[in-house]
Formats: sequence, structure tokens, C-alpha cells
Amino acid sequence: MDGILFEKLRILSDGAKYDVSCATSGVDRTNVGRVGNACAAGICHSWTADGRCVGLLKVLLTNRCVYDCKYCVNRRSADTRRAAFEPSELAELTMEFYRRNYIEGLFLSSAVEVSPDDTAEKIFRCLHILREEHLFAGYIHAKIIPGVSPELLTRIGMVADRLSVNVELPSEESLRLLAPQKKPNGVFGPMKRISLTLAEQKTLKGPGLMDRMGPPGANVAAGDGCLAELMRGQNPVAAPRGRYRERFAPGGQSTQMIIGASPESDRQIIKTSESLYRIFKLKRVYFSAYIPVSDAPELPARFSPPPLLREHRLYQADWLLRFYGFAADEILDEAHPFLDADMDPKIGWALRHIEQFPVEINKAPPELLLRIPGVGSVSALRIARQRRISAVKYDDLKKMGVVLKRARFFITCSGKYYGGKDPDPVYIKNLVLQASDIRESLTDGKASPQISMFDGGFPLPIAPSAAPPAARNATAAPAGITASTSGYSAAPAAIAAPPPASDTPAAFAAAPRLPEIRRS
Amino acid sequence: MEYLYDGSFEGFLCCVHAHYHREKAEGIFPEARRQGDLLRAQGVVETDGEKAARVYAAIEEKISKSDLKRIYTAFCSSVPDKETALLRYIRLGFKEGPKIRLLHGDPVVFAVQRIEQNVVKEVHRMCGLLRFSEVKPALGSAGRAILRAPMAPDHDIVEFLAPHFCDRFKREAFIIHDERRGKALVSAAGEWYITDFRDADALAETGEELQYRKLWREYFDAVAIRERSNPACQRRFMPARYWKNITEMSR
Repeated sequence: MDGILFEKLRILSDGAKYDVSCATSGVDRTNVGRVGNACAAGICHSWTADGRCVGLLKVLLTNRCVYDCKYCVNRRSADTRRAAFEPSELAELTMEFYRRNYIEGLFLSSAVEVSPDDTAEKIFRCLHILREEHLFAGYIHAKIIPGVSPELLTRIGMVADRLSVNVELPSEESLRLLAPQKKPNGVFGPMKRISLTLAEQKTLKGPGLMDRMGPPGANVAAGDGCLAELMRGQNPVAAPRGRYRERFAPGGQSTQMIIGASPESDRQIIKTSESLYRIFKLKRVYFSAYIPVSDAPELPARFSPPPLLREHRLYQADWLLRFYGFAADEILDEAHPFLDADMDPKIGWALRHIEQFPVEINKAPPELLLRIPGVGSVSALRIARQRRISAVKYDDLKKMGVVLKRARFFITCSGKYYGGKDPDPVYIKNLVLQASDIRESLTDGKASPQISMFDGGFPLPIAPSAAPPAARNATAAPAGITASTSGYSAAPAAIAAPPPASDTPAAFAAAPRLPEIRRS
Repeated sequence: MEYLYDGSFEGFLCCVHAHYHREKAEGIFPEARRQGDLLRAQGVVETDGEKAARVYAAIEEKISKSDLKRIYTAFCSSVPDKETALLRYIRLGFKEGPKIRLLHGDPVVFAVQRIEQNVVKEVHRMCGLLRFSEVKPALGSAGRAILRAPMAPDHDIVEFLAPHFCDRFKREAFIIHDERRGKALVSAAGEWYITDFRDADALAETGEELQYRKLWREYFDAVAIRERSNPACQRRFMPARYWKNITEMSR
């Protein structure tokens, strides 16, 4: 083993770390005399200093790239060190890591050195060595480069467990602006082929509980020029019934979108995710808060903090789509294009639909139980099971895992309401915010470690303004300069600006939306 | 009456037997850990395989197989007073039958459910956090290299790890060593047994092993995104008490 391998590993894992997915789930495979197995629930092996889990050895085959996507660390014009793994070398490294239980398997992506097909060919060769020479039976996640030929896609799918094609940006406009060499159809083509192949072999399952709970296929036509628009007219790929056979990509497919590099609204992002889930039956749509890696004028300035809070809220909304039976249009509508930074989208929805509450715990149908803030899928199931035997009492709820801090405003137990006054949105919102204020003051402003970045905290971006890109650039550039000269104190003006005024009810407008104003 | 037993699962089941056939139990404790109590009578229960088997069968038949599994899992925890909580659960189970699992609000069921969850969670966590090293006998260079993973879990989980790792490393010979309890899971070709194990020093890491550790640390450092640094979140998922045996965290 020489120093070059260390160097290669450092460069090629550094280039791959912005890919979010590290899932090792969705495949159950016992060992039939090979090396390794796969566990349906997935297993995390470690957590890096940024708190993200490590399940797979996530590397690029090479970071030499002909593309020049502006948001990417590996873009052709970037001044960075380049390297490439030999397929056999990487296969051996994966095996040695795997038998030490460092990883669950391999996540293999690559920059495009010559052409998409050439890259796919190399990825296939590496995975083939792993499966056939080393008899590896652990998890493999392979990245599909947009524009790859169908034959190579099929061959990679036969050796990998999960495939992913990255959407990268939530609208065609941003894609054209920031990644001119990538075309939406180059993304949707392989995505559709994967779904059709899965449907053909009767293993297409779709995300979470969405198919069982949500309105089927409805609601997918979007607006606002987001990518969802382009999928209009495509028929949802139907999930088949029948025996489960494990062959082509048994773990399904996922994708990822960069958040905060382009001016799309949360609504566009959520609508795009919903369409991806409903039409292509993706397992996951990941979000990646944009971390400034270039000085391109179209992008947020260097040193502006990544929009971690926004990413967090989007993931919460994503869960509502997949596991709670919400449709995107319910989470955000024309009047509310951005998620509320102060509270999670489920409470936000409940407060806008307060007429549906309080809900009687002992009578409400399960799908309504799931919509109560503070009640999750496990506690909803427990409530539904126990009330068949005896009435659920208020004191039981905590033991079932219900978060009463939130739930008590929205429920009655055998007719009694425990939320204090009547369910009134302004009153509840103030109480909920007060609770998080107290927590923040106790923990020195670092209430949620997910969003804390620098000591002392920084003004968190609420949501980027929905201004057109041209107007945004004009404000972003000077703000970027002040941000870099005054350390980390200021977020770019364009990002810190509150969302455009909308016709919110007076009750909501009364509560200021900027956290720093609220605290004073 | 307080019953004292030898710390084994059979011993515990014999205490349950004594509760029904001798005198009601106010508490059950392992002999080694219990101090004498002036106010309460104490009785040592001898472990008797036949009595234990009868209680075992009764739980399986009158409550359910999955509750038997839950009781055993909870018994393997290190929670103090787990025996008394389990006795309450078994008594309630004999009354309610298999529907005891649905009584989530009941304090007796809740307590046992939580203990069980502690164990199950640690088993799952350890499936990821266990780190194997390639080792050889320290004396003499002969012999095939095997894998060894030291750990110091909160609960007695070594046998719950067996199905997962014996399937995964069917072609390897390996030892999972619980340093805290001085026992180990020994496995080769998918077969396994549990034994007392103390002299871990007789095995030494191979030269290649140290290289791969370095590579892994290199990788681990490279994939963290500096702009998102969040050590509190890292510690929540990977508590510091496990770090001693985690390659990338102990340097």
C-alpha cells in the first residue's frame, strides 16, 4: 500500500461528499455463501463531524470532468487536484473496509471524463469486479449519469442495489443557467427507464406509505415553471402486484436537489418532489443545502452560510408527503410559497386548518390521527390498537410516544380539551414559539444542533426571495462583499429578506417572521 | 418475601415459579448484588431446570411467543430492578393473555417495553458501530489471521449480534469480545457459540490492519463538510462511551 492510495482516497471522497444519500435500506438479502448481506432497515456505521451518517464508502471513480456546472466542486474550471481510481483497486478497498464493518457497501459516483457512456462503462467494470471476483453481496448504490445509454443502465442496475439520477436543480431555468450541459430530459429519460424496468419485473414499490394514503396520481400538475411542469402529461408508472423477485436495482431509485443555489420557492421544490414520487415512484428525493464553492455571479456569494434550516423544513415537508398522507398543495399553496421557518410544516398546516381541530383521540379515523401535530406513525398505530380494548386516557398518550407539548392543543380525550383556551391559531402559535424560545435561551441560542453553525449563532436565512434571478444577482453581489469582509456576521441580503408580502390572514401577519425581531 | 437468584434466566424463571408456589414475591434480585434487608424476609431460590422449563412453557402458551421473546430480551438489559418489572409483566400477562401487548398505556407494560427497547436499540446500534480488526496469535507467526471486535455495551447483547454477523461473515472466522462481561461470541463458517474470554492480549494486529485503519480515518475526515460542522449531533448518534472501540474516534 503506498501513499498514492491515501491521496486518491482523500481527493475522491472529498469530491463525493456533497452527494447526500447514504441510505443502505430497502434490500433484505441473506448470505448464500458469498461475502456479506443486506438488511432492509439499513445500518449506519459512523457519523462524521457534521452529524451525517456514514453507511457507504462514498467516492468518485474520477473527479476529472468535462462539464462545467457552476455549483459543483469538480467543475472543469475549478482549480482542484484531480485523481482516478483503478476499478480493481477500489473494489479491493471496499472489501477490506467491509470486512472490518466500517461500511455497509459502496456508493459509486463519478465525474464525466469523456462521455456519459464511457463513465458508466467504468462504473460497471468496477461493480462487476466487486460482485463477480470478490463475491460481494453487500449494498451498492450507483450514480447514473444523465444521458447514459439504456443498455449500460440495465447492466449497472443488475449489479447495483439502488440507482440514482440527480435532478440537481428544481427548475429548467436554473438548470440552463447553472448546468448548461445537463438537460432535464437527460435526467428524466434514465429515471423513467429505471421505473419501467422495475415495474416490468414487478418490484416497483414507491416511497413510504404515499400510494396507500394520498390521493392517487392527482395533484401532480404544478405551476410556477418548476420541473414538475415537465413531467405533466407523463402517466404515473403503475406499481404492480405479485411476487417479489430480486434482480434489477432491488433498492429502487432516489435523486437529489440542491437547495438555495437558485431562486425557486419551497412550493416549487415540494411540488417537484411530489411529482417525482408519484410519477416515477422514487424512493427518496434528497435535498442538499448549497455550500458556496465558486465565485460565479449567479450563485450565493462565498462564505454565505448554507441554508440548513430551510433544508430541515423541506425534509419535514418531505416526510409529510411520504408517510403522513399530505399532498404538496396542502402543505404550501399559492398564498404561502415558503415554509414557515419558526415552526414545522405540520403545525403550520394545522393552524391554517384549525376548523378541523380539536380531534377526538378515541374516535378519529387513523388518517386524521396522523395529521395531529405531535402524533407520529408509531403513536397513531398504538392509539388505534389500544382504543379497541379500552378508551385512551390523556395520561396514556405520553406513554404511547405522543408529544403532548404540541398535540395537546389539537385533541380532546373523551371529550375534554387540554390545551387551555379554545383552539385559537394565534394563541397556540404564540405558546409553541414561546416554548422554543425558552429552549433557545437555555441552550445559549443553539436550540437545534441541526442548524447551529458558528458560536453565537448567525441570522438564519428565512427563505430566498422569489425575485427573478437577474434582480437577485444585483443584490447578491454587494451583499457578498460585505459578508466576506465582516466575517460570518451577515447573510446575503437576497437570502435574508423576508418572503414577499402575501395575503396571509391578519392573524399570521401579526406574528413577525424574522427570528431576531421576535426575540427582542 | 424477596427472592435472590443466581443471575441466570433460568434462575429468574424459578423465582417466578416460587412466587406462585411458595410465597408471593415482593421483589427479585440477583444474589451477588443484593444487600441484606432487615425489614424484609429474603430467600435464595435454587435454580432448577425443570421448574424453569415449566414457567418457560407457561409463558409461551398462556401469553405468547413474542412476549416470551420480549421478556428474554428485557432480561438481558442492565437496568436495575428489571426482574421485578418483569415479574409484574408476567403476572399481568397470565391475567390478560396475548392482548397484553396492546396495553401501551399500562405502566407495567410501558416499563417493560422501554427496557426491551433499550436492548433492541443497542443491538441495532452495535451492528453498525462494531469494528473488526485482523489479528494473529502474538506468539509465533503461524496460523491464519482472524477478525476480532472488542466492545463494551451497556447491555448483555452479544448473542443478539450473532445472527447478523454470522450471516454476514460466513466465510470468516471471528470473535466478538464483550470486554465488560468477559465473554465472547466465537464464530466460523456461520456456526457460533458463546464462551468466557479474557486473554485478548494473546492476539496482535497484523501490519496490513494498521494501514487500513489509517485509510479509514483518512476517509472519515475527508467526508465531513466543514461548513456544516455539528459535533453535538455526531455525539448524539455515536455516544462518547463507545468511542474507545471505534477506530475513527480513538486515535
